Amino acid sequence: MASAPTANGGTSLSQYDLVLKLAQHLDRHMIFPLLEFSASQLVDEERGEVKDDAKAREITQAKYALLKKTNMTDYVADLHCELEGLKEPPAEFANKKQRVFSQLQKYEQETSKIIELLERDDVVNNLRSDKVANLEFLKREHEVTIEMVNALFDLGNLQYSCGNYADASEMLYRFRVLSTDNDKVTYATWGRLACEILTMNWESAMEELQKVRETIDSKLSQNPLAQLQHRTALIHWALFPLFNFEKAREPILDLFFSAGYVNTIQANCAWILRYLTVAVITNRGRAKNPGVHQKQMKDVVRIVKQEAYEYQDPVTRFVHALCIDFDFEEAQRQLVLAEEVLRSDFFLLAHADSFVDSARHLIFESYCKIHARISLKDLSARLGLSADAAEKWIVNLIRDTRLDAKIDYKEGTVVMNHPPSSVYQQVIEKTKGGFFRTQVLSAAIAR
Amino acid sequence: MSRFFRGGDDSSTESSSDEEELYSTSEEEEEEEQEEQESSEEEEEEEEESSDDEAGAQKKGLSRFLVDQASSESEESDVEGTTKVKSAKDKRFEELEATITAIQNGQKINDWGSIANEFDKLNRQVVKLQDGGKAPKSYIKCITELEDFLNETLAKQKVTPKKMNATNARGLNAVKQRIKKNNKDYQSQIDAFRQDRDAFMESDEEEAPLPKPTKVKFQDSLAPEEAADEEEKGFARVDKRGKAIPFSPESIQKHLRAILESRGRKNTDRLEQIRIMEELNKVAETPYLKIRVLQTLVSARFDLGSGTTTSMPLEHWKAAEKELRALLALLETHKDHVVIENAEEWDDDEKTPVLGPDDKYIKVPGSVVSYIERLDDELTRSLQSIDPHTSEYIERLTDEASLYNIILQGLLYYETIQKDASLEVPQESLNRIIQRRLDHVYFKPAQVVKILEENSWKQVSSSIDSTITPRSLAGDAAKLVHTLCSYLFENSEGIIRARAMLCQIYFLALHDEYYKARDMMLTSHLQENIANFDIATQILYNRTLVQVGLCAFRRGLVYDAQHTLQDICGSGRQKELLAQGVMIQRYSQVTPEQERLEKQRQLPFHMHINLELLECVYLTCSMLLEIPLLAQTGSSPDIKKRVISKTYRRMLEYHERQIFTGPPENTRDHVMQASKALAAGEWKKAIQFIHSIKIWDLMPSADEIKAMLAKQIQEEGLRTYLFTYAPFYDTLAIETLSSMFELDPAKVAAVVSKMINHEELAAALDQVTETVIFRKGVELSRLQSLALALSDKASALIETNERTLEVKTQGSANAFSRKDGRQGGQRGAGQRTGRGGARTGGNTQRQAGGTQFTGGALGAAVRA
Repeated sequence: MASAPTANGGTSLSQYDLVLKLAQHLDRHMIFPLLEFSASQLVDEERGEVKDDAKAREITQAKYALLKKTNMTDYVADLHCELEGLKEPPAEFANKKQRVFSQLQKYEQETSKIIELLERDDVVNNLRSDKVANLEFLKREHEVTIEMVNALFDLGNLQYSCGNYADASEMLYRFRVLSTDNDKVTYATWGRLACEILTMNWESAMEELQKVRETIDSKLSQNPLAQLQHRTALIHWALFPLFNFEKAREPILDLFFSAGYVNTIQANCAWILRYLTVAVITNRGRAKNPGVHQKQMKDVVRIVKQEAYEYQDPVTRFVHALCIDFDFEEAQRQLVLAEEVLRSDFFLLAHADSFVDSARHLIFESYCKIHARISLKDLSARLGLSADAAEKWIVNLIRDTRLDAKIDYKEGTVVMNHPPSSVYQQVIEKTKGGFFRTQVLSAAIAR
Repeated sequence: MSRFFRGGDDSSTESSSDEEELYSTSEEEEEEEQEEQESSEEEEEEEEESSDDEAGAQKKGLSRFLVDQASSESEESDVEGTTKVKSAKDKRFEELEATITAIQNGQKINDWGSIANEFDKLNRQVVKLQDGGKAPKSYIKCITELEDFLNETLAKQKVTPKKMNATNARGLNAVKQRIKKNNKDYQSQIDAFRQDRDAFMESDEEEAPLPKPTKVKFQDSLAPEEAADEEEKGFARVDKRGKAIPFSPESIQKHLRAILESRGRKNTDRLEQIRIMEELNKVAETPYLKIRVLQTLVSARFDLGSGTTTSMPLEHWKAAEKELRALLALLETHKDHVVIENAEEWDDDEKTPVLGPDDKYIKVPGSVVSYIERLDDELTRSLQSIDPHTSEYIERLTDEASLYNIILQGLLYYETIQKDASLEVPQESLNRIIQRRLDHVYFKPAQVVKILEENSWKQVSSSIDSTITPRSLAGDAAKLVHTLCSYLFENSEGIIRARAMLCQIYFLALHDEYYKARDMMLTSHLQENIANFDIATQILYNRTLVQVGLCAFRRGLVYDAQHTLQDICGSGRQKELLAQGVMIQRYSQVTPEQERLEKQRQLPFHMHINLELLECVYLTCSMLLEIPLLAQTGSSPDIKKRVISKTYRRMLEYHERQIFTGPPENTRDHVMQASKALAAGEWKKAIQFIHSIKIWDLMPSADEIKAMLAKQIQEEGLRTYLFTYAPFYDTLAIETLSSMFELDPAKVAAVVSKMINHEELAAALDQVTETVIFRKGVELSRLQSLALALSDKASALIETNERTLEVKTQGSANAFSRKDGRQGGQRGAGQRTGRGGARTGGNTQRQAGGTQFTGGALGAAVRA
């Protein structure tokens, strides 16, 4: 993991900037997009100028420090030139490039045979699910040695380091098929996850994520500390698919809310709460099962409450104000702040609008639950909308959610009708599944 | 070994393990000596003399011995009654005499059958009567004569082959075989007897009861150097006449050995030994000798307090402390001398070890950490026995500073010797001493620790610094504790590790770092396995728990405070659980042994947590939670069972039963009357009652706490009011409520909103008119509420059944995992929340919440 000196995003919101914290748990290749984003935020969009030269330089420096250890020599050389104001990169970069290149060739030679083999149909068809047998077979028939298999791993590693993610992923995949070395297979899985994330190949990234999760749960159960660290890393890496791939949402939220990971977030990286909160709030209405969403919301509120002493930002404060203190004005204030924070966050930028929208829903929902009569004017202020827009918005809302509410135009109020839940209804609800469950129970006993 | 020796050993089971080691080594030595004794027959003469020396060194005169014996016996054998011992002993002597007579009679008539029987009997008896390896004289006489007679008979038989009858022949053979083996053991005494029958028998009376440490090795080394021997003899004779003993540096080692060997035995006069050693200390010249003398002296002083109940006399404690300090100073100045546990015993009494060419150190066996631990224990013990409300206690407490200083110096010493890997200092010693240091620090406020630290460092020369806890840390107690704890955490395991953790949590809680303390408590997972630890650690756990609870209270976290304190305070056995007093147990019989153990566990007064304050905090917290709950549950049957604190409920009921209630006298009365006022909506009165509790003043920043409490009471009062009077209102203006409870309207609105949202209150807010509108028709009839309760119970029943089956089938029957998507433990919680009403939902939420680190140490701490 890289711990490069990363510069802050550098706006007034820099106190809420998480790049530094996130960077500790990300691979250096993954930090790069974050830094790019920070740099792009500094550029004034209208005039195309850099607003803050010192900051921009700091970021370039950070990039340089970050990538110096990788093998992306050309880019590093460019960065160096930019920093030092040179026209030509110094010779050492060329040397390094040469070295990397020769190494690459060496590995490619070593692996050429095995790659060729793996592309031959007659060989692939003979492979079974048993890794040991496969290796035996290849050894016997095609003189493949274990060194050759390991060379695949090294080649993948080198290619990743050069920024050649797609090829690296392919190498690691092949390595994993053949290798019996458990540790290295685990590394390869992590490596593939990184590659898939960086090539934005979300579907296979999700597969790898699942695999990594399984290995963490099974292999590290004896070592709680390592488990915690690995989980932390996994949570951070999972942020990429979480906010970039629609289908990844449900499983990743599930992952975050599973007991081990909730604990990890609470113990080791409370700042993830921001992402978790945003993900859950924006997930509103999208979730297939409203019950699940409600439950997740409840969990979020609980965790936010518990961790309030350790981590706070406008997003969590919004939840705190709305769902714990029932201070609607404070919630409104925090929402405005939260929107700004979201717009300057690499992961959340794209979700700022939907977050604000969902947050308004949330405010209105709990408002309606508590109030019997609301002045329209007041409500529009609460929601941060103009009176007309608010009215329209409410009408839409009432229609969509079939709330039992009416607008009294003359008075300028919204009137809620809270039908008390009937006792009979409650009893029916409670005893509903009883018969079925008892049947299942007796069936299970009979078995 | 003598019977008395064993007795002494038993009674000191409480002594630390290293002491036991010492005992065992001295025992072994003695055995060794006995073996050697067998081989050294010709040195018998000298030996006799030396034992006289020995006795003389211990006692001023042999003649005083008999007089002394009874009293010393009664002094030290507190387990066995004195008179009983004496008569039993006499009886045995009589039996012995009778057996001897029987043997003599058997000899006269040549009846070997009966001789064989009697001889066996005799040997059995004499084992009981042996004193320090010496058999009674009459026994020696008997077996010597018997042996002679046997030889005679055997010789006769060879000459005159007259047939003996079968029994006689068998008896003769048995005796022949046995006596050879047997007499070997007493060879020296037998020889002495043979040489001078009369003299031997004469000395008999005096010698018999004397525990006689035999000194063969000592003799061996004496032989080559006649001059020293002469001197020794001269000194002994002078001593016998009761005059002052001239000590010379050369004789130090012999004295020390003598003293070490008599250690733990019955009739040694420890005070006398100490006096001798004090003299020796003055004459000791080389650092080696000084170290040896100081070591022995300190252990001898500790022996004074080895009884289980008595503590060591004050002046000896002080002296021991001074001597330990001297020892540490000596070790510091003479860096080529080290005292370590794994050094070899130096056997040559004539020479002191010198530094060899390839040796770096002169190693002296011993354990500095054990001395320090013992010193610490003795101080604790004396503090336990002193009445804490006297000035004596405070005076004694000042000694803690010097003790702390010694601990610090000991730590420095261990750090220096640990730097040298060749010494192989076990990590454990360092851990132990750090643990001791921590024990003196963790329960004290930062300022006190600071003073303590600074004073201790002042006494250490400024050139020395500690690597673990640098001098610069002295001013920062929090850092110091953190450093000590993390050191232990990294370098130790098991109990010491757990203790370090608890100490740190305690310290954090004491200094209002609630969240840190709570998180550490939770991450330590101690609540799960605390029952497996020893009782002292369990007590520490309980203390820590209470401290965390108090800390939560100071932070205004009433719910957490109540929850944390529940287990300790709800049990009604706070005293026992915190080791701050013995409970009078009415129904269970406590053996004296248990009682004694319990007394030993008690903490000295200055470490106590104020129990009254604790009760006050607990009751106040319970009041703040229980009163609104009582108002809410009202008369509905289904939720009536929810009780937060049984203890509080019981007190409240008792208080309500009283016909006349006078003005409150104690803390409990105050809280109860406040509860009553709060329940009636008279929050101002409640605040008054609570504020007039005097014990709040013991809290740091009492005013803030009172303000916090007032705020809490206002809020809870509002809630109680709403619960109680909601059925009688249609609408209520927020304005009115706000003026009634002197709260901000926004705050009132927030409280009401919260209650509505949690479905505690059937109402809604009207934003336009700023009123609370209560819904009608939500009050259930009796039948309806009963039906609800029934349905609740039915679904609970189904759930229990399901769970039981799931447990029985080990979860393999997945018939019940309806599409839930969750894994593992989440599933259960998810289902419950989904099905139950809002109330159960809230419940699970609370359970899942983090503050549950109670349980565990409860019963086990006292019962075990």
